[in-house]
Amino acid sequence: MRFCPYAHRTRLVLRAKGIRHEVININLRNKPEWYYTKHPFGQIPVLENSKCQLIYESVIACEYLDDAYPGRKLYPYDPYERARQKMLLELFYKVPHLTKECLVALRCGRECADLKLALRQEFCNLEEILGYQNTIFFGGDCISMIDYLFWPWFERLDVYGIADCLNHTPALRLWTAAMKQDPTVCALLIDKNIFLGFLNLYFQNNPDAFDYGLPC
Amino acid sequence: MDRHFGEEEGGKDGGRGDPLPESPANPGRELGLRCAAMSGGSARSLAKGSAPPGPVPEGLIRVYSMRFCPFAQRTRLVLKAKGIRHQIININLKNKPEWFFKKNPFGLVPVLENSQGQLIYESAITCEYLDEAYPGKKLLPDDPYEKAYQKMVFELFSKIPSLVASFLRRQNEEDCSGLKEELRKEFSKLEEVLTNKKTTFFGGNSVSMIDYLIWPWFERLEVLELNDCADHTLKLKLWMAAMREDPAVSALLTEPKVFRGFLSLYLQNSPDACDYGL
Repeated sequence: MRFCPYAHRTRLVLRAKGIRHEVININLRNKPEWYYTKHPFGQIPVLENSKCQLIYESVIACEYLDDAYPGRKLYPYDPYERARQKMLLELFYKVPHLTKECLVALRCGRECADLKLALRQEFCNLEEILGYQNTIFFGGDCISMIDYLFWPWFERLDVYGIADCLNHTPALRLWTAAMKQDPTVCALLIDKNIFLGFLNLYFQNNPDAFDYGLPC
Repeated sequence: MDRHFGEEEGGKDGGRGDPLPESPANPGRELGLRCAAMSGGSARSLAKGSAPPGPVPEGLIRVYSMRFCPFAQRTRLVLKAKGIRHQIININLKNKPEWFFKKNPFGLVPVLENSQGQLIYESAITCEYLDEAYPGKKLLPDDPYEKAYQKMVFELFSKIPSLVASFLRRQNEEDCSGLKEELRKEFSKLEEVLTNKKTTFFGGNSVSMIDYLIWPWFERLEVLELNDCADHTLKLKLWMAAMREDPAVSALLTEPKVFRGFLSLYLQNSPDACDYGL
């Protein structure tokens, strides 16, 4: 689905590694019955290869692509550095839920000061990592898997209306700026107006939300 | 994330990022610690006020553990299965040493520390690290799809630790039957995997990483009186029996009465729980 942050991770990795692929978008509010044969709960992203092997959970799919395809490795070779990226991913685990809760609260006209505070705290934790490492990206001086795994939620902060949660984390702001320079991130950036159009329809429960912005 | 029952989510210290390796505060004490730890997993746990251990000697890897912790058992199973020379330092999880938060800001076991002072935590991450960093039998498959498949099965298992933890903390018999029903449901999912794969173990016909990652909770079913939750999942029961035959699993089995003794003290938050049976 064009606006799903979890699927976005997989699309970033496909692009970054130059893997030839086909995208089939699923209408998440009106799922095709056959889709449950691809994923027991009908979630995305799911990878399917020509051997009919199915891989799901976004992080598992991304690692599978890195392992199965040649070219640029997004995870480091060194076992400790690989482990470090996976530990960093654990530090991130509250961010998706908190950003979504903020979005829903704002869209429903509810207060979300507590949620934003919690999100800022998570961002502080990530800021500390960048400060300690003194590197631009989370894996070092070059972009790598962990950066792509984080990125989709940071791309959405502005359109969700919570970009001010980065106000007190300068290293994280520098990181988002550097990410926006990355060719892969750039190529997949979603136009703000299209995203807003999707969000408007989504929160009106319009089943056409997912195709917003596509030519008729 | 390793969520231990009774572990508060707090306990993180202010500083994060890589702590620097500790220098021995008291060499004599450190030597004593090392001798105790070398006797395997039976060393008394270190608590608040204890001196931090010194650096890890070359040729060894250290695991911070607790004798009854299922998450740490994962790491110890992998160390055993791969024949990796290691040193165990047990931590009193009811009275944690202050220095332990420099090893893991979350203050949880297991944590690996190598002779370069590198620290790795989160049980699944430690297990994967060991498989990648050490030679010998590979526990994770080389084939990218088979490796991904093991990780998907791991996700299928993921509700079980918290269900078991909730069961331990249950207040009344209503909670008990509800939780047991949920556990049965989760067991059915795993049964389906074995049915589809038509193999004894979750990764094929021999033991592999996924089996070790999920085993610790199945070992505890008997002592927790949850064995009947597997009544309708026959392949799972066969798997449990096959696992008990595995050398690494059987070497690390805890006697049910020792576990019961620990559990009783742990649920009362006794600082003596972690050393029960020593």
